[in-house]
Amino acid sequence: MFTFAAMKLLLIEDEKELANSIQSYLTGNDFVCEWATTTQAAITKISNYDYDCILLDLMLPDGNGFAVLQELKKQHKTEGVIIISAKENLETRIEGFNLGADDYLTKPFHLSELLVRIQALIRRKNFNGNNLVTFNEIEIDTLSKMIKVNNKKVEVTKKEIDLLLYLIGNLNKVLSKSAIAEHLSGDMADMLDNHDFVYAHIKNLKNKLKEAGCDDYIKTVYGLGYKWQND
Amino acid sequence: MDSVTNGKMTKNLLYKTSRAYLLFSVVLLLVAAPLFYYSTKKLYLDETDDTLILHKNEFLQFTLPSLKRDEIASWNRYNRNSKIAAFNSTNEDTLFYKSYHDVLDNEIEPYRELNAMITIDGQLYTYSDRISLVETEDLMQNIALLFLTIISVLLLGLFIITKRLSVRLWKPFNQTLTQIEQFEIDKSKLPQFTATDIEEFKRLNTSIEKLVVKNTTIYRSQREFIENAAHELQTPLAVFQAKIDSFVQSGSFTEKQYQDLSSINDTIARLTRLNKNLLLLSKIENDNFSEKETISIKEIIEKNSAFFTEQAAAKNLSINLDLQENKLVQSNPVLAEILISNLFLNAIKHNKTNGVLQVKLGDNSLVFSNSGQSQALTTDKLFNRFSKSNPSDHGNGLGLAIIKKIADGNNWTISYSFENLLHTFKVRF
Repeated sequence: MFTFAAMKLLLIEDEKELANSIQSYLTGNDFVCEWATTTQAAITKISNYDYDCILLDLMLPDGNGFAVLQELKKQHKTEGVIIISAKENLETRIEGFNLGADDYLTKPFHLSELLVRIQALIRRKNFNGNNLVTFNEIEIDTLSKMIKVNNKKVEVTKKEIDLLLYLIGNLNKVLSKSAIAEHLSGDMADMLDNHDFVYAHIKNLKNKLKEAGCDDYIKTVYGLGYKWQND
Repeated sequence: MDSVTNGKMTKNLLYKTSRAYLLFSVVLLLVAAPLFYYSTKKLYLDETDDTLILHKNEFLQFTLPSLKRDEIASWNRYNRNSKIAAFNSTNEDTLFYKSYHDVLDNEIEPYRELNAMITIDGQLYTYSDRISLVETEDLMQNIALLFLTIISVLLLGLFIITKRLSVRLWKPFNQTLTQIEQFEIDKSKLPQFTATDIEEFKRLNTSIEKLVVKNTTIYRSQREFIENAAHELQTPLAVFQAKIDSFVQSGSFTEKQYQDLSSINDTIARLTRLNKNLLLLSKIENDNFSEKETISIKEIIEKNSAFFTEQAAAKNLSINLDLQENKLVQSNPVLAEILISNLFLNAIKHNKTNGVLQVKLGDNSLVFSNSGQSQALTTDKLFNRFSKSNPSDHGNGLGLAIIKKIADGNNWTISYSFENLLHTFKVRF
């Protein structure tokens, strides 16, 4: 079974309530999540420890979060960085990527989305050549976009693989329909006000897994959404 | 220059002034011409009468005393206009008009005639003398012609001078007008007024300048306010979202609680969308997407068609894509995609079950037609922010405003029509 046990994260965020929720959500998924509220505190931490992933807010009390990216570069550190910011414009995005950030998530976001982004980033960074995510009888190749159940290939669409990775990544978490819809629709999410299409995708994925002899891990959470659960 | 305002023809200033001048001149001419004619005629007649009386007096004084009765016939023979005839019982001197047949011209011609009573050799006779009035007619005609010429020259001169003068005088005003016409409050270019030495226009320019500066400032701060407000809302929304995301993990709830959580979730999703769309609108207005490149509309549609088909599946819509032209346009690629997606999703959202959706990409237009409610939408506020055809739907009322802003920014036009029960949005490139 694929887990991210003992992965160390650094969360740089000055909004206490948001930081608390992120920490508790991620810690529940076997991450160790440290927290810094200023660029100075963050720089001290990255100088002393290695992290698997850094979550970086840009507007911090003692300056711009880009200072942390510059410090990482200076120290030749290769930590993956996900910018989490309320700033949403192309220039900031491009500047962030140019300074070495790996991903950019605009506030507000779903914690489930943050979690799968972290997982994807760590997979890219740490498992060179190994793109396999396994969960009991299910094996997903994230690079060639293939799914095997009990070593037998299952024909699924790209979107269904995306959905499966999202569900497995958020093991035992209740995922609201809107969170799933936003994950699946990407940039289009802001224009969508109907999330009914999620039901169709879940149903299709469920059927395909069932036909391949897979256990039914997808539980419906009454009225709210779905949950990937290992009984 | 004529133009139509509120169905009424409007004329320019010069036309109005010229018309007043012209009207005055015509009235003057109409009143003055007969007056002039009759007074001149009267003057001439008086003169004629005086001449006739003078002739008579001369006759009485120089001819009559030596005139014998048997000389009357020969006297009459040698005087064409003066005659001595048998007494016709006219006692007093009488002046009157009379027409005679002119043998030379073979015409009846008007004459002024004087009859007077004379005595020759103790017998009463009537002396008559006449003067042709034909010359008067000619004279009158000449005078009238002269009069007309003077009036015409006067009018023409007046018109030309007014026109020249008004063009020169109103030049600064027209320049100001052009500047104001070109001014758009959401564009950064401010009107530049040319200096003028005419006091009134100077005042006009100064006050418009003040007005423009003040309004632009207000507009900008309003725009910044919207962007800042939307921006500031992102963080509390993020906290809200994160809290609800972790809260739902905390245990099992009753059915009722799950329903409440679900509606809280939907509401925050709506709030987030609304806020993001407001931000997007502000950013378009603030020219954050000014970089343009050549893009293919067809490619954008094809790239996203699977997504749209998926969204349309719930309503079982039949989608008909007619993308014959590979239309290339100049636009910001992000905005072009947002425009097309919004139009597409709009046509899906407001469609009915088993409805139709047609997309036609022509040489210079992109048309989305969809079935839906059976009445046309009210068009006057359609593209305004927060204008909704159905106030209870969950859309945020910004989609069409965003579409309009993007179209405006690319100098495209967007129009709505309702034909054959199809709601049609047309973008002209």
